[in-house]
Amino acid sequence: MKLIKLGLLAGVATGLFAMPAMAQVTLKIWSIDGANSPGVSDTLSKEFDDANDDITVDYRIVPFDDLVNEALRAFATGQAPDIISVDNPDFAMFSSRGAFLDITDRVKNSSVIKTDAYFAGPLNSVTWDGKLFGLPKYTDTIALFYNKDLFKKAGIAEPPKTWDELLADARKLNDPANKVYGITFSARAGEEGTFQFLPWIQMSGGSFKDVNGPGAVHALEVWKTMIDEKLASQDVLSLGQWDSTGTFNSGNAAMAISGPWELNRMSTDAKFDWGVALLPTETEGGTRSSALGGFNYGIFSSTKHPDEAFRALEYFVSQDNRLFPEFSSLPARGDIALPETGVALKDAALKVFQEQLKYAQPRGPHPDWQKISKAIYDAMQAALTGQMSPKDALDQAQATITGIAG
Amino acid sequence: MQKLVSSLRDGVGFDLLLVGAAMVFLVALAGLPLLYNILMSFQQVDMFTLGTFVRPFVGFANYVAVITQPEFWLVTRNTFVFVIASIAGQFTLGFALALFFTLRFPGGATIRGLFLVSWVMPGLVVGAIWSWILAGDFGVLNAILTRLGIIDANIFWKSDPAVSLWAVIIANIWLGLAFNMLLLSVGLASIPRDLYEAAELDGANAPQRFWTITLPMMRSTIGAVLSLGLIGTLQQFDLFPAITEGGPANSSTVAQFWAWQMSFKLYDFARGATVSVLMLLLVLVASIVYVHSTRNEVRG
Repeated sequence: MKLIKLGLLAGVATGLFAMPAMAQVTLKIWSIDGANSPGVSDTLSKEFDDANDDITVDYRIVPFDDLVNEALRAFATGQAPDIISVDNPDFAMFSSRGAFLDITDRVKNSSVIKTDAYFAGPLNSVTWDGKLFGLPKYTDTIALFYNKDLFKKAGIAEPPKTWDELLADARKLNDPANKVYGITFSARAGEEGTFQFLPWIQMSGGSFKDVNGPGAVHALEVWKTMIDEKLASQDVLSLGQWDSTGTFNSGNAAMAISGPWELNRMSTDAKFDWGVALLPTETEGGTRSSALGGFNYGIFSSTKHPDEAFRALEYFVSQDNRLFPEFSSLPARGDIALPETGVALKDAALKVFQEQLKYAQPRGPHPDWQKISKAIYDAMQAALTGQMSPKDALDQAQATITGIAG
Repeated sequence: MQKLVSSLRDGVGFDLLLVGAAMVFLVALAGLPLLYNILMSFQQVDMFTLGTFVRPFVGFANYVAVITQPEFWLVTRNTFVFVIASIAGQFTLGFALALFFTLRFPGGATIRGLFLVSWVMPGLVVGAIWSWILAGDFGVLNAILTRLGIIDANIFWKSDPAVSLWAVIIANIWLGLAFNMLLLSVGLASIPRDLYEAAELDGANAPQRFWTITLPMMRSTIGAVLSLGLIGTLQQFDLFPAITEGGPANSSTVAQFWAWQMSFKLYDFARGATVSVLMLLLVLVASIVYVHSTRNEVRG
């Protein structure tokens, strides 16, 4: 269809002005979107294709588990796509080795993209060595869900603000006779485990490079207390966030730590009044932090069409205001107001997540993030299962991380 | 020329051709990847050299790195426990079932056929089913054990380092049981009936017949079943991501899962290759035992 259109156009053009026919550029775009239902990248890629007669977009859906492996292999053999959208902790592996195009200057000259509109965390995740190697696509973070009905029953007026209050509230809410745990979260052996625990290290003044400070040990002790006193199910060690929050929705946990991806399901499944609060801090008014989720766009440095690829990015960014209403994804920037959804609980929750996003910090960025992450969740699990003391476990993680990150 | 053609059509040449075809397949599909894997374990591999053969040679650095990982000995121990316990469970239960089904009773053949269902199912599906059965708070197994009064508090099969490996072993025994039973049944069926009849006439009781006839006659079958079990168990991967993901704290990580994790989760392809080379040595021992046991096959 497009070819015919183009052919006609070219024919008319040569006939009238004897203008050289436009060269057809093919952009390859990879993302995980569009496998089950229309997603961001598949929809926008198609629109960009339709709107530009000189560009054809060859869009490919790659399953999440294969995305990085496929991209690595493709890049190594010179078959890389022009644009890819990857999970933010995986981004630095590419950007730090020059596999992504440095777009600092292009962004500076762009009339569409304004870097100061982005939240600090997402922007940090596409930055390496002071240069911009991509753009945040959408983002998410985690905060504290709480069951207001159970809080009322336990006589607790407001959600916990500090770690001590969180423990105290969890003890009050814990009700084994009725199969209600005080809290649920995910301490799984995988990226999700680090995603949930790293913010606690950061709140206590640490970072992914500094995980064994007294604050981090304190954080792990708080988590261990929740498991040891059975304020949370021991199965948080193997449950992912989605399944873990499922127990909150069914009323089997009074609090849950998870993200905005839960909102739609919770709005229909949870048969009680619930709310969202910012993650409790170590001390009253202490440092806030949270995890940063979400995907980023990058242009592979091997592309033959950097200009067209950047035009595509500009188009994607120009559609950011549609992210939430059409795809239920949160824009990574603060200058887009989220429209009301009409569901009061959800709208209130979104405001909290927007606020929490200001404190979200990326995992890394570091080219060997996956190994750092494993050191962190291994330490967390070793301590939670009582195989090592929190201090020893984090010391061991620190030794591993120092070996990787210097 | 004439001689060559006729040899190719019906003679030594034809035999060589068939063997050659098989060898080409073996070398191309098993030999080369194997060598590539070994080569990779001595190289430094990153995203820029992933597509080439020529990479910086690092000697035994990858091996040193793997062995000095804090979890190395835990993983080694887990691998041995997993292999030995799985094979022991699969074999004894499989043998017991095979013996049981030699007793002819109505519906016996049908029930034996139904046992194969577990073997036909993909490991990931089996893993998902066991993952639900073994869930801590709302799992079926805990509910049954509690009702029977065997346990007071729920066992967190997937989240307690003391039992997580056993959770996978239970699932793996269930998965491999039917295969063991089938092979052993075949072995049992090939023992001539008259041996038993003669022994019975001479006054041998059931245990005596088992120890002096069944076991010796089954020697090569048992050798084959055990080595196939070893290979199958070392290849068992699907159950791990489906049930425990190697956790908690690596307490259920075995070598094959570790190798996969290093290559495809941590993107350290060289170390992943190193772990699989170390595993290769183990499988090699198993293969030698297997070849040995089939070579001395005795059929009565």
